[in-house]
Amino acid sequence: MSNRTHPPLRPASAGRAGGRSAQSPPPSAAAAPRRRARRGPRGERLAPYVLVAPAILIIVALRLWPLGLGVNFSFTGDGERNGAPVGFDNYADLFGDPLFRTALRNVGLLVLLLPIAVAIPGLLATFIYLRVPGHRFFRSVYFFPAVLSPVIVGAIFNLLLAFDGPLNALLAKVGLGPVDWLGDPGIAMFAVVGVHIWATFGMALVVFLAGFATLDGALLDAARVDGASLGQVIWHVIVPGLSRTIQFVFVTTMIGMLTSMFGLLYVMTSGGPEGSTYLPEYYIWIQQGQFNRPALASAASTVLFMIMLVVGLLQLSLLRRAVKES
Amino acid sequence: MSHARLTRWLLALPMGLLALATIYPLLFTGNVAMKTRREYVLDRFSVADAVRFDNVTGAWSSVGMGRYFLNSVIVVTAAVVLLLLLGSMAGFALSQIRFRGSSVLFLGCLAALFVPFQVIMVPLARVMADTGLIDTYAGLVLAYVAQFLPFTVFLMTSYYRTVAPEIIDAARIDGNTLYGVYRRIMLPIGAPALLSVGILNALFCWNDVLIALLMMPSAEHRTLMVGVTALRGQYSADIPTFAAGVLIAAAPVLLLYLFLQRQIADGVTAGATKG
Repeated sequence: MSNRTHPPLRPASAGRAGGRSAQSPPPSAAAAPRRRARRGPRGERLAPYVLVAPAILIIVALRLWPLGLGVNFSFTGDGERNGAPVGFDNYADLFGDPLFRTALRNVGLLVLLLPIAVAIPGLLATFIYLRVPGHRFFRSVYFFPAVLSPVIVGAIFNLLLAFDGPLNALLAKVGLGPVDWLGDPGIAMFAVVGVHIWATFGMALVVFLAGFATLDGALLDAARVDGASLGQVIWHVIVPGLSRTIQFVFVTTMIGMLTSMFGLLYVMTSGGPEGSTYLPEYYIWIQQGQFNRPALASAASTVLFMIMLVVGLLQLSLLRRAVKES
Repeated sequence: MSHARLTRWLLALPMGLLALATIYPLLFTGNVAMKTRREYVLDRFSVADAVRFDNVTGAWSSVGMGRYFLNSVIVVTAAVVLLLLLGSMAGFALSQIRFRGSSVLFLGCLAALFVPFQVIMVPLARVMADTGLIDTYAGLVLAYVAQFLPFTVFLMTSYYRTVAPEIIDAARIDGNTLYGVYRRIMLPIGAPALLSVGILNALFCWNDVLIALLMMPSAEHRTLMVGVTALRGQYSADIPTFAAGVLIAAAPVLLLYLFLQRQIADGVTAGATKG
């Protein structure tokens, strides 16, 4: 990605360093540096590898190797057929399982809600950037839930969204009936996603604000002098100017929805009611941890990985086209 | 001009309400944690009639939150120290030293950045079980290091790219080996980035529940977040104790946020702007 932006590096510094100390030791070199210089060339040439080795070994052994292992698992059997090749049986099981289909449908729901999850922090960042009274205060308050664990957030909202909890009490005051936020299969998923957005919009907000810092202020002033309304300023100046940031927030928000809602689901609904709040990551956990079906879980993992790749690529290309047109 | 000012004030109103909605859940939980059970059952919204820490001390000692807290501190500290050490070593080599294979290794780290934990959790659990690391502190620490190392290497590499090569050249002329340069120059220069990345990693590890659930199945090894999820089942009738447990788990993060909000936000945006 940003690999091409390597600053012009010193040519083969390790090799050069070895050569230099061998040919002409610095005049001040006393006994100690000379000893180092003698041992130098090979030790120095190996040094970069020694420095990266621990990190690379861990990443390969515990991230990249398991990825291959998992894809491999997904084509073997569980239980009695443990380890035996079974072709695509796990994938057939997977798509035949109503729970997994619910999980996929919920992913679709997340995609539909994505624009809202991006627009809210985007708008709020715009207002903060335009120096609404109290913008500093708003900034630090809004960012705050983003640092809390999903477990904490879920636990708190378990209390707030309880059938006899504060939210329903508030609704009762304005004459609206109690809603079974986490107990109604038609509502629970929306409630969990809503809480997820509440908990994470501060993260996107901060990213947006960093994007605003790169925006040309003169452009905004010019638009305002020309009498553009707030809506026009947002649509014609801010959105095109921040296209890179918006792209980034879209992708990271979607990835966040697909990979960091486990804590909320685990604490708030445990996948219920009636399995209505399953997401692929929760399905993987249940199949691995509760039903002891690692191969099936691996198949679900592989599908999740595919979804994430497709979503990422699709969004990038869509947004790139939209930006070109405008 | 005054029209624009009016718009700004009108915008501040809903933003203020939203700020209230952001803070209220935590205030509510704090209030509940100070109530007696009876007080809570009678009226959930009344302000606690005294500042009382019985529930907090109860959750700390009798429910085992103290033990879980200690587990979390041990694991998070070890993981963050390792992450910063390995991340800065690799970041230095990948940014400032040209050697055969460096760009392939950097791309490998980037690729790992896009492999979410959910995708590798099943095979990883098996690898950990095969090597006897499952349900050990070392196993969980390694799992955290593996999870957050690509991100750490990436950020440290981009930070160290901004260091002028002349500084390193000067240190080499003074007779430093590359290891000496790392220890005497790169570590101190990297301090601000290490602080940001360290705080972020500490938050990630502290807040995690999925990796801890998978790697530390036994009850005495629970981290704090796993402890909170267990608390929910055991104390569903004793909401004030539950709320107190939630507060204990959130307290370190609250403190961190109060004092280091800037560094946290910087860390988050560093990933975005350098990507």
